[in-house]
Amino acid sequence: MKRKEDGNKNGKRLKEEWFSFMDAAVQEKKTSATSTTSTTAQVTEKQKRIEQKSASSLADAIDIGWLDLSKAEFYVTPGGFTGLRYDGKDYNRIILRRALPIKHPDEYISVADKDNKEIGMIRSLLELSEEQRKIVQAELDKRYYCPTVYEVKSVKDKLGYVYFELIIGRDGVKYKKNCAVKDVSKNIRMLDDDKLAIFDVDGNRYIVESLSKLDKKSLKRLEPYLF
Amino acid sequence: MEKYLPDYMISAFAAQGIDTSELIYAIHTDSGSDSENLDVYTAVDKENMYILYGTEKVVKTTGARRIVAVYEPTKIEKYPLSQLGELSCERLLSTGRLISEKENNSKILLVFSIGYLSDVDKLIKVIKNLREGAPPLKDVIVDEELFCPKCGTRYPEPERKLCPKCMDKISITRRLLSFFVHYRKKVVIIFITMLAGSIFSIFSPLVGSKFFIDEVLTEGGGFYGAVFAAVCLIFFVRAFGVALNILYSYVLAKTVPWIVQDLKLKIFEAMQRLSVGFYTSKRTGSLMNRVNQDANNIYWFFVDGVPYVIVNVLTFTGVVILMCILNFRLAIVCITIIPITVGFFRILWSIFRKYHHKNWIYRSQLNSMVSDSVNGQRVIKAFAREDDEAQRFSEVGNKQAAVDIRAINTGYTAFPLIYLFMFFGQVIVTIIGGRMVLEGEITLGTLLTFISYLTMLYGPLEFMSWVSNWWARCVDSAQRVFEIIDAKPDITEPENPVILDRIRGDIEIKGVKFEYDPATPVLKGLDLSIKAGTMLGIVGKTGVGKTTLANLIARLYDVTEGSITIDGVDVRRLSLSQLRKSVGIVSQEIYLFIGTIADNIRYARPDASMEDVIRAAKAASAHEFIMMLPDGYETRVGAGGHDLSGGEKQRLSIARTILQDPDILILDEATAAMDTETEASIQKALSNLQKGRTTIAIAHRLSTLRDADAIAVISDGKVVEYGTHKELMEKKGEYHKLYSIQLEGLKIINMES
Repeated sequence: MKRKEDGNKNGKRLKEEWFSFMDAAVQEKKTSATSTTSTTAQVTEKQKRIEQKSASSLADAIDIGWLDLSKAEFYVTPGGFTGLRYDGKDYNRIILRRALPIKHPDEYISVADKDNKEIGMIRSLLELSEEQRKIVQAELDKRYYCPTVYEVKSVKDKLGYVYFELIIGRDGVKYKKNCAVKDVSKNIRMLDDDKLAIFDVDGNRYIVESLSKLDKKSLKRLEPYLF
Repeated sequence: MEKYLPDYMISAFAAQGIDTSELIYAIHTDSGSDSENLDVYTAVDKENMYILYGTEKVVKTTGARRIVAVYEPTKIEKYPLSQLGELSCERLLSTGRLISEKENNSKILLVFSIGYLSDVDKLIKVIKNLREGAPPLKDVIVDEELFCPKCGTRYPEPERKLCPKCMDKISITRRLLSFFVHYRKKVVIIFITMLAGSIFSIFSPLVGSKFFIDEVLTEGGGFYGAVFAAVCLIFFVRAFGVALNILYSYVLAKTVPWIVQDLKLKIFEAMQRLSVGFYTSKRTGSLMNRVNQDANNIYWFFVDGVPYVIVNVLTFTGVVILMCILNFRLAIVCITIIPITVGFFRILWSIFRKYHHKNWIYRSQLNSMVSDSVNGQRVIKAFAREDDEAQRFSEVGNKQAAVDIRAINTGYTAFPLIYLFMFFGQVIVTIIGGRMVLEGEITLGTLLTFISYLTMLYGPLEFMSWVSNWWARCVDSAQRVFEIIDAKPDITEPENPVILDRIRGDIEIKGVKFEYDPATPVLKGLDLSIKAGTMLGIVGKTGVGKTTLANLIARLYDVTEGSITIDGVDVRRLSLSQLRKSVGIVSQEIYLFIGTIADNIRYARPDASMEDVIRAAKAASAHEFIMMLPDGYETRVGAGGHDLSGGEKQRLSIARTILQDPDILILDEATAAMDTETEASIQKALSNLQKGRTTIAIAHRLSTLRDADAIAVISDGKVVEYGTHKELMEKKGEYHKLYSIQLEGLKIINMES
């Protein structure tokens, strides 16, 4: 297992090296191009200016509404909700949502009141103090909780329904769960290159955090449904 | 008093010292967000709600009921109902939570996996009934068994009580076969010809090999030397077999399309009976999508399936019997070799199918990508993304090519191997049979007959190896089709429908609640009253349930709670046909059927004269544009027909409603998507239509509501403001806000122009 991980790391490093090499090559090509043809350089310069202009004008026109975190205080209510005191107002129940729940779960967090009206956004949880971050993180974890699949015990295909026997859980606590999935091509989806989501007929969702870390037998059972 | 309490939960609560005789309702959930897997039982009696956390040690999950051997409780929580606030469910990503909402004291009571949402929703309903003093289980459907009572497998779709394992294949097949009954004579012919055809094909090796070699070519045979006559006989046997085959295929081809047509007609008729909810619900939405494919499956059941089963069974039994008669020992050798070959064949086939399936998925991905890019050409060009699209295409294409190569390679290696193995079987029979010939145990003719029979047996055996799977799929298709045929519409004609002499159009809406999905209420206790002949305007943001209200008045759906009455009679008691005829809806969603413009206007009243049609078109300001079309009122519209603009279509639909001459008119954003000029002309058409009728106008643009006698502002599923335009403006509330915003917009336009 360890060797495999090392292998992966090596692969990743090689990939990175390759990309940086390619970038350098492209850069080199670009500089050589500018030195020979000044007109192209002018054009790209102009284009850059246009891009810059449009980017800045968009930023001027629309305010994302970042929360001023120095004025924000998140807290947990006795009833189990997360509240926020912000800029003189007290929201005793807020809703936190991730803009990029899969790839950047800790960035671009939307904070809304209980009627779903956005109060503002947090760019990154790292901008919060540790104690505040814990509160926000806990609420996000609750909202986005999804059992992880540790093992696929069996898969049975019956008339368009696939019955899975899964070992799921969180934080190392594992238990067995049987579920049925229909329309596998829709309900078993890759979230990114390595992460898989399974949606069962009840609407529950299960996540395989990393296919490459799944044991061989489980992977083999899942394989026919991966696209 | 009605109760719902599973036995295993009763004992668990009793162990906690709770008086279980008082308990009324209980549900079983899990612990949702916690990192341990708990079994949570929640029960209510008249005063309290109890939540019991613990772990079940289930001894047996197969069979009729869950049998819980031990329940190890960890904690119990007790909440007096009087201290709880308003209960609701909140949907999170994969979990849900039960919330008690009270001024300053809101609390999360329970967290559970999203699959239990509808159970918890029922619990909320029970508690609500208890608080209101209603029978506790009113409007609560209990005892929804989630597991197949026979084998304990979970139903794949909880609302569709169908276990794929225990599906009653026989009775469904029998029902399917009953479609043959109308064609009895033809079926008898088919069966006889098939039987005769099979017999002839079984006997042809006997005549071709054994009789010809042993009796004609061998000295001392009964017909020694009569080569010509014998060959004629062989030819005759073959030819007759072929003739029978042609005959049965012919009769079959003439019968099956009619049977399938019968079935399709039944499905289509059933579909017309069903209510709108059936088409949009999650359960049946997918059911409908597959009908076409199902009909196809059933078609093949009749064409390929039934005859193949008969022919193959007959051939197999006939050949085995004849082999045993000819030589028992050699027959045993043959019968042992064949299953091995078939098994081998199945393994290779399953590997091949795996690649095939993947290939199919990639191909459909590629297809949808092509259609995506064709439809999105404008956008692709506008953003100069042509190269990226090509790149995206090539990524999937590459994957498909890789799978293709593997599939082809497997095919190329697998199939010759199978043939080799089949040949190997022949070799063994020839070796053993050859010895027997030398020893004089059998004749050469018998050996050759055996070898022919061996190849004849592969067909039926291979068929039998996949027929069960295929049959199951067929039965599943048939089941789905029968489900549609047998489906009971949610909206049914009442037993003794009230038929009013004349509908005046007084509408009374009292405490109406409605939800499409559990735990997502759209209307939350809406009250409104509309006097006959007046116009009510309804305003509100998108998604607050304005269209839903229109659908409820026309009884396309039934209310979840509360009532809607027309002239004092509940719509659920009115005759459906009278109701639908007297409520006319001009909606934002316009549908034109395939046919001429005249047909489409006449859809409301097929017996309307041409003059009436023109009159209606004139009233709807549609006449002018219709006359501009080359084919006038005979212009074909709908799918594949002449393209009409949104405004033109809208005017046709108004003409349709004018012809319908309804007593109650509902205008659902009828002019939302029009330009100002068209809107003005449609408004004129509408005011023609509104005269003297009860009208409910749903609108975004408040300017269209200036003639309304009263205006209701809906927000969050309730009426928040009600009154005339003047009253509401003075009130300076929600309506005033909306009006000012729209007025502001107009001012800006005026200033700029």
